[in-house]
Amino acid sequence: MSLRNLLENWGDYRKGREQGGHHKYEHMWGMAIDLNLCIGCNACSVACYAENNLAVVGKEKFEKGHALHWMRVERYWDEPNLGEDRVSEYQVHGASFVPTNCQNCNAATCEPVCPVAATYHTPDGLNAQVYNRCIGSRYCSNNCPYRLRYFNFWSYYESSWPAPLHMQLNPDLTVRDKGVMEKCTFCVQRIRAAKDKAKMENRVVAEGGFVNVGDQQFKVAPGRAKVQDMEFQTACQQTCPTSAISFGDMLNPDSQVSKLWRGHQVELGKTSQKKPNPDLRGYRLLEELNTDPCVMFLERVREV
Amino acid sequence: MSVNHQCSYDSGRRGNARRVLGSLGIVLGVAALVLSFTAVAEVPGAIPPQGTHDGKDVAQPIEFPHNIHADVNKINCMYCHTYARRSKVAGIPPTSKCMGCHSVIATDKPRIKKLTEYWENREPPPWNKVHDVPDYVHFTHEKHLKRFVFDNDALPTENVSEVCAFCHGEVKTMTVAHKTKPLNMGFCKRCHEANHGPFDCWQCHK
Repeated sequence: MSLRNLLENWGDYRKGREQGGHHKYEHMWGMAIDLNLCIGCNACSVACYAENNLAVVGKEKFEKGHALHWMRVERYWDEPNLGEDRVSEYQVHGASFVPTNCQNCNAATCEPVCPVAATYHTPDGLNAQVYNRCIGSRYCSNNCPYRLRYFNFWSYYESSWPAPLHMQLNPDLTVRDKGVMEKCTFCVQRIRAAKDKAKMENRVVAEGGFVNVGDQQFKVAPGRAKVQDMEFQTACQQTCPTSAISFGDMLNPDSQVSKLWRGHQVELGKTSQKKPNPDLRGYRLLEELNTDPCVMFLERVREV
Repeated sequence: MSVNHQCSYDSGRRGNARRVLGSLGIVLGVAALVLSFTAVAEVPGAIPPQGTHDGKDVAQPIEFPHNIHADVNKINCMYCHTYARRSKVAGIPPTSKCMGCHSVIATDKPRIKKLTEYWENREPPPWNKVHDVPDYVHFTHEKHLKRFVFDNDALPTENVSEVCAFCHGEVKTMTVAHKTKPLNMGFCKRCHEANHGPFDCWQCHK
């Protein structure tokens, strides 16, 4: 996306996909998280810290909300306190876990408010954050209804990775400095590597045209890489001990994630899912705000 | 009337002269363009990136003569920089590759003696990086070589150095490599625009 494109197509910029958008898509990366399988072990979060060079900020800064956990496991105590008489703030049993990473909304609220177009939508259906373009205005974070964007208030390089720990940094990713917003990228470095590999092996879809997902139609770009389903995994998906996280290309009707979305009758481009069968568990976070997120959750089946 | 006529006659003549000069200029211009293209565009099917830069000299442990290897002896760049076609980085050859030839060739030269010393001490010469892009840039050698060399039937693989010269300059004429291209975003972008490369921020920024 050039600046010219941004200025000329400003009207289309916020419209989102349902009105045609401004993109020819190459992929539409999406995720499905099964909360029935999630045991709240935080392994996804740890894997994310390791993969994406996330700084460990320490207790004091965590309290101030300066933590940089791109994948955070939110806890809710909305279940009855089974087998306990005393009701405390943090009960022992009955917690629900929601692993939340950036929802990579197709009509992202963070994108149009960025004064320097450091966050924008890629042809991969990702909500991108270009670190060296970011000036740290934090409008995007204020406009994100999920609060899934994290700001580097400090430079953590020396405190988080004193030598020789800097050797474990991932070279496929920048180490962000202070004054820069960051968020989950759906492990774009792994996506990029998989796409590069596919292109090097001449696995390319030559023709463009349209791909139908549900009743939605996507313009697709010619010459896009043909990445196999499960050819690569995101760090959180790879490490999840119960395989609660599925990730893949939603433009590929045979991918695991497309099958899950279809199976639970959750569709992109809707503000509410009208499902005839209440047993279907799929939902998206705050979809009534028309952010059109690319992450679907499968509701937990409760005992009571 | 006559004055007018004179004037129009004059202007007509001047116009003719201008036209002749103009067409001459166009011919010259086209000739210059053709010449400049034949001088620069040795790679068919590609428009080389524009821009020059005068980088600092980077001192190396051994003054490696690129000109003797690549120009006099016509060794393919990818013989030593073997990872260029396989990975993101072009790579520096292992010392064993140097010794493959230099255990027998030119063993009496001072630079080779120094190399042999490194080899016998089992330590690599501490080469210094000349062409470095910032950490926030994702650049793959393999995809660029695929586009300009291996998928480009018009270019014989022996002439790969012409493609390398896009970003590394005429290394053939240098001893130690010297940065002669800016390798900044404008430099990359101009080439991507001319050769229809990807234009998305996240293709290159990480």
